[in-house]
Amino acid sequence: MRKADRIFGVIGLGLSLWFYLESRKFHYMTDFTPGPGFMPFWVGVILAILSSYLLYDTFRRDPSEEDAKSVLPSRHSLYRVGFIFLMLFGILVIMPLLGFPITVFLFVALILLSLERYSILKSIGYGIAYAAVTWLIFEYFMQMGFPKGFLGI
Amino acid sequence: MDIFEGLMGGFATCLTPYNIWMAFLGCLLGTLVGILPGLGPSATMAILLPITFGMDATPAMIMMCAVYYGAMYGGSTTSILVNVPGESSSVITAIEGHQLAKQGKAGTALGLSAIGSFIAGILGTMGLVAAAVPLAEFSLQFGPAEFFSLIIMGMLTIIFVGGKSIPKSLMSAVIGLGLGCVGTDIVEGKDRFTYGIAELLDGIDFVVLVMGTFGIAEVLVSAEEFMKVEPIRVKFRELFPSLRDLLQCKWAILRGTLIGFIVGILPGAGPTIASFVTYGVEKSISKHPEKFGAGALEGLAGPESSNNAAVSGAMVPMFALGIPGSGATAVLLGALILYGLKPGPMLFVENADFVWAVMASMFLGNIILIIMNLPMVPLFASLLRISYALIYPAILIVCIIGAFAISSGLFDVGLMMAFGVAGYFMKRADIPPAPMLLALLLGPMMERALYQALNLSHGSMLVFVTRPISATLLAISLIMSLAVGFKAVKRARQMVQDDDAN
Repeated sequence: MRKADRIFGVIGLGLSLWFYLESRKFHYMTDFTPGPGFMPFWVGVILAILSSYLLYDTFRRDPSEEDAKSVLPSRHSLYRVGFIFLMLFGILVIMPLLGFPITVFLFVALILLSLERYSILKSIGYGIAYAAVTWLIFEYFMQMGFPKGFLGI
Repeated sequence: MDIFEGLMGGFATCLTPYNIWMAFLGCLLGTLVGILPGLGPSATMAILLPITFGMDATPAMIMMCAVYYGAMYGGSTTSILVNVPGESSSVITAIEGHQLAKQGKAGTALGLSAIGSFIAGILGTMGLVAAAVPLAEFSLQFGPAEFFSLIIMGMLTIIFVGGKSIPKSLMSAVIGLGLGCVGTDIVEGKDRFTYGIAELLDGIDFVVLVMGTFGIAEVLVSAEEFMKVEPIRVKFRELFPSLRDLLQCKWAILRGTLIGFIVGILPGAGPTIASFVTYGVEKSISKHPEKFGAGALEGLAGPESSNNAAVSGAMVPMFALGIPGSGATAVLLGALILYGLKPGPMLFVENADFVWAVMASMFLGNIILIIMNLPMVPLFASLLRISYALIYPAILIVCIIGAFAISSGLFDVGLMMAFGVAGYFMKRADIPPAPMLLALLLGPMMERALYQALNLSHGSMLVFVTRPISATLLAISLIMSLAVGFKAVKRARQMVQDDDAN
């Protein structure tokens, strides 16, 4: 946790600097009232104080059991979470090209096949089932207007 | 405002077939999703929120409140049968309930939990009706200065009470305030932090943040490992606790309800603190404190009633003042805004029908839950045998569909995923996401109140301390901050002394 706190302390300092610099693009005050720059300025200042404290505390305190905890999970868990992250962000790229149902099919089938070690047949079967059900409910009945791919679905 | 008349009007609205159906559906879906290991009520509501898009405000809110109750109940079932609490308020239920289940009393534990929750839910809703109306009437005197001070007090309480580390909770809240700055500002109409992205002009949508940090992040944490759940089996005929068990727990249920409701009203305290306080009280007054931790009936019934009564308590400041008392009520408040309503004391004046219908539906929701859940527990429990590998892709898809539904575009989907990643690492680093969520909701309200108050006072900051209600609220905030500060200094000095001694 000590390492995690240091990482978040640095991220917090970066964010505070960003808020401070952005706040300078706007008026801090108008005649009587706070301007658009007021809130971002104070967000930056308070975040800088808190992040500095978090960082300082990691050097000051004695190591505890909590400090031995890592911000990252085990290698195996990291692989699983990383894979799901990639699949999620892949949806953003693939959906406009292939359309909603095919994207859902690929998402489910690939997760089951690669991550959960389901057989190819089962993965494809579940992929088709999920795609069909979600398409039927959300596109056919609710007409949500998902992107259509090159197949027109 | 006549409470009885209002409540009768609320029953007339909520007892239409469509609204009863919504309450039933909410209870069912809330229980079904809430029963999944690792998913608490906030995450359940975040995941199911998109279902209410496009509905009228009243049936939508009736459904979301029912989802909340259902998720609380589903979480208790998982805690008792699997020993995996969905969120911190179910920890005690997991400790005592699972011990009882291991002793072959799973049915008694589930039955007691359901009956305790039902009694607490009904009494808590009565308390909500009785407390919210006078509070709302009182808060009609509030001007912008009072609202600013109230928001400050609410945010500080949530930060000080929730989370393991105050600096981390504060950081989370300040980041939430920063996120609240995104969009067109109210003073000069300038675009802040939008960088030419049209989708950001209206600010960051609350649903995007809540589904990312509660929905996606919780699923990712649960999906870290192959989750193999072995629930303890339970039969229908075992589900009803004996009269002796019920009589043994009657005072624990009533004490839990009272403590839960009072604790729930305090901003930030909520069901978790309520269940722990009740557990402490029950243990301290019990003739057999040694049984606590090894399956004490009172140790289950009291906290379980308490965390349900706290749900009603937390809704008092939400309905009366527009200030959410907990993470879950923040989701409800966000839903309220999403349905086009303006939270705050004027809600009782401008949308009285809505408020009364929702409050009346809480009685209905509790009745539906006990009728539905007692006999159906074995069926719900069988859900726990479905592999989590098949469930989490479905939850992720529902989140994606929900984010897409906000603006029919992929931008919000991407933003939700980014918040999901951030929320995942925040969870790993013990940074609570609830203060960030509350600050995103309250930040723009606070900025508006500050602007209006200073505009009315021609820029004089004295307006916050010369108005009695505002000054009192700020004084409470100051006392709270000082108390926390003194405690931190005392702890630091103790550490130094311990170091010197070593």
